[in-house]
Amino acid sequence: MIEVEALTKRYGGFTAVRSLSFTVRPGEVLGLVGPNGAGKTSTLRCIAGVIPANSGTVRIAGHDLAADPVPAKRALAFFPDEPRLFDYLTVRQHLAFVARIYGVAGYEDVARPLLEELELVDKADVLPGELSRGMKQKLVIACGLLHSPSVIFFDEPLTGLDPLGIRRMKDSIIRRARGGAAIVLSSHLLHLLEEVCTHVLILKRGDKVAGGTIAEVAAQFSSGEPDVSLEEVFIRATGGSER
Amino acid sequence: MIGALVYLRLTSFRNFVVYRISRLRQPKYLIGTAAAVAYFYFVLLNRSGVPGAQGGGAPPAAAADAGVVGMALLCVGLSALALARLAFAWIAPADKPGLRFSEAEIAFLFPAPVTRRTLIHFRLLSAQFAILFTSVLMAFFFNRFGYVGGNRAMRAVGWWVVLSTFDLHLNGTNLTLSLLKERGSGYLLWRAAVVSAIVLYVLAVVWSAATFAGASAPGLLSSPLGLGHLTRGMLDSLPLRWLILPFRIVFGPYFAVGMRDFCVAMVPALLFLGLHYYWVSSSQASFEEGSIALAEKRAAAKAAALSGELPKFGAARPRARSGPFPLSPRGAPEIAFLWKNLLSMHSSLVNRRTVLLGLWIVLCLSFGMRPLLAVHARSEGFDVLGPIIAMLCAIVAVYTLLLGPQVARQDLRNDLPNADILKTYPLEGWRLALGELLAPTAILTLVLWISILVSAFAVDPSGSIEWLTPGVRVTVALCLGAAAPLLCFIQLLVPNSIMVLMPGWYQASRSRGGGIEMFGQRLVFGVAQLLIALLAGAPAACAGALIVFSTQWLLGVGPAVAIACAAVLAILASEAAVGLWWLGWRFERFDLSSEIR
Repeated sequence: MIEVEALTKRYGGFTAVRSLSFTVRPGEVLGLVGPNGAGKTSTLRCIAGVIPANSGTVRIAGHDLAADPVPAKRALAFFPDEPRLFDYLTVRQHLAFVARIYGVAGYEDVARPLLEELELVDKADVLPGELSRGMKQKLVIACGLLHSPSVIFFDEPLTGLDPLGIRRMKDSIIRRARGGAAIVLSSHLLHLLEEVCTHVLILKRGDKVAGGTIAEVAAQFSSGEPDVSLEEVFIRATGGSER
Repeated sequence: MIGALVYLRLTSFRNFVVYRISRLRQPKYLIGTAAAVAYFYFVLLNRSGVPGAQGGGAPPAAAADAGVVGMALLCVGLSALALARLAFAWIAPADKPGLRFSEAEIAFLFPAPVTRRTLIHFRLLSAQFAILFTSVLMAFFFNRFGYVGGNRAMRAVGWWVVLSTFDLHLNGTNLTLSLLKERGSGYLLWRAAVVSAIVLYVLAVVWSAATFAGASAPGLLSSPLGLGHLTRGMLDSLPLRWLILPFRIVFGPYFAVGMRDFCVAMVPALLFLGLHYYWVSSSQASFEEGSIALAEKRAAAKAAALSGELPKFGAARPRARSGPFPLSPRGAPEIAFLWKNLLSMHSSLVNRRTVLLGLWIVLCLSFGMRPLLAVHARSEGFDVLGPIIAMLCAIVAVYTLLLGPQVARQDLRNDLPNADILKTYPLEGWRLALGELLAPTAILTLVLWISILVSAFAVDPSGSIEWLTPGVRVTVALCLGAAAPLLCFIQLLVPNSIMVLMPGWYQASRSRGGGIEMFGQRLVFGVAQLLIALLAGAPAACAGALIVFSTQWLLGVGPAVAIACAAVLAILASEAAVGLWWLGWRFERFDLSSEIR
């Protein structure tokens, strides 16, 4: 469960996110969309505990992220847009390292099916420098899922993946949500979000423009038209520009 | 075509200067530049008060003799380094030997309608820009210590001859290696022959020097005059005089006393340089593939340096290794960081080239010191090897404490690109910081422990210092050993704190090279590190000294040192704990994206 209330993030005099509130329940997938500079990544980084918010509260699995960060972070996984890995750890050593950080006893039993699912078994003993971008992303996902998080954040999860990888990633997100995880993901690929997300939140210049289930948001901007696409809704909600 | 290449070099240089000047609007660059300019002015240019300074009259005889010895040692050191570099080129050449071009130069020039010879000329021309700049800088720097005559202009030209000859020789070696590899047969044989020739040459030089030193009059090492006499005699003795002829030719203009001597020395030096130029420019080796590989390797090294890693002396691509110890999924998470950072440290520091380099240095020191030590032992009646080793260990220990934190960077600084991931870990800031600092602390502590252990055995081997009983020796060594990890930890806290406090400055200063402002920034950081080390060490040192002086009369030196050590450890541990807590607290609030913009 993710509860965000009046979240504000400022960089000096510039307000990246302004008094943002939303909730994601177990089993829900929230798509965070908006033009470039709308505050999507800042929002994700704030609610994942990567950067401190200036005001507002974030509760992860019932724990206040500011007051009680350790149990809150124990429940979440954050996948940044760019796969960040340690240059000198092999795939297997990455998993060993993360298992120690999160205290995952008997992690080998969890890691094995994960590596198989992500097709990394053959690469278990190679360094990140020998992996393609897609493979690196898979390794990041394996590390993030090792401690079975109940809250998951994805920042542009489909970047750099081939069509098969995109299909698998979508299936994986849906499967985790069905397993009870609360998921937030940001992406510019609106047709893909339509397939994966149950809810959508549209941001523009740090403000919430619209939020709710996809059907609710579509109804808000459809003017009575049937079958309005998320792309069309997005353009109408943001006025078709970044400003 | 060369005109276009000159245009490229000059335009690039002009734009480089304009860019560097324009970024002085940012305080971090302005302050760095101011610090560097002040350093160069006060240390290199302002020579008031230095005896024998330029235009300051004739230097005293003793100073002149010390100058001869110093210059001879400098010459020997540089020659040894040059030989070592050439030997390495033959022992462990790149898989594809080539010339040094940047990736952009390769992209634009290799497909261009220019001959291979033109490309070689472009490479030589490019090197000249750096060589000319370095020559001027070196002339100013070493003029400070020179008492053998000559002026700055002559020294600058002298340096230019030395550096240009070496650059041409290295290029010629690479091209020859490339040619031999192309031909295939005899590649290994040729390399073995050249390496054997270098080794035989070094042995012959050392043997000649040792023979002369052995036959010289006792007592020469006790005064600068005697040392100067010994050095002059050694350099003029046969067969050493002929053995070092190539180096005498190359260093001739640099050591010239007056204009006439300089002109005379320049004739063989330029001829020698010309021969090297002919060797390089007439080469028919195909260096393109090797140059591309070299450019890729340099680009990777540059990227690694920007991400905070140590420059690598070995292969550009790291290899997978087993962990330093088995990592259980249960237990303190800090140990996971130690495990991870030790893995990366091993890859950076231990490889074939660093091991070979270390062996070469040890061999050079062993062979180089033997004649001097033999003469001293004969003339003074006692062996100075022990005190010299103890002194070297003390120097290593001080440098490890002061400079070690800048070298052992497998901590938060190296993980800066992964800061986002680290911050999602379910750990308090101080625990994360502690974990990150464990590996470099362990490495630096190990170096200090070895230095302390060796010093404890080496210092005063004859037992002439009355109070230095075996008990005191062991107690002092144990106390220093106990304080070593805390001292290293506190020293490592400084650069890590600077990194989280001023990430913009830190990001700029860790790029390799970078010009005068980067040099100034590193200078500022270095001074800050020294000041904080003094500030942190002062309370503990004062308390320790006070306890030793006030209790040794009652308890004896050994117990007094032990009690003082406990107090020192308590103070250092408190400082380390406060520093660690602050670093963790600051890291929790650290937002790289906002602070670097």
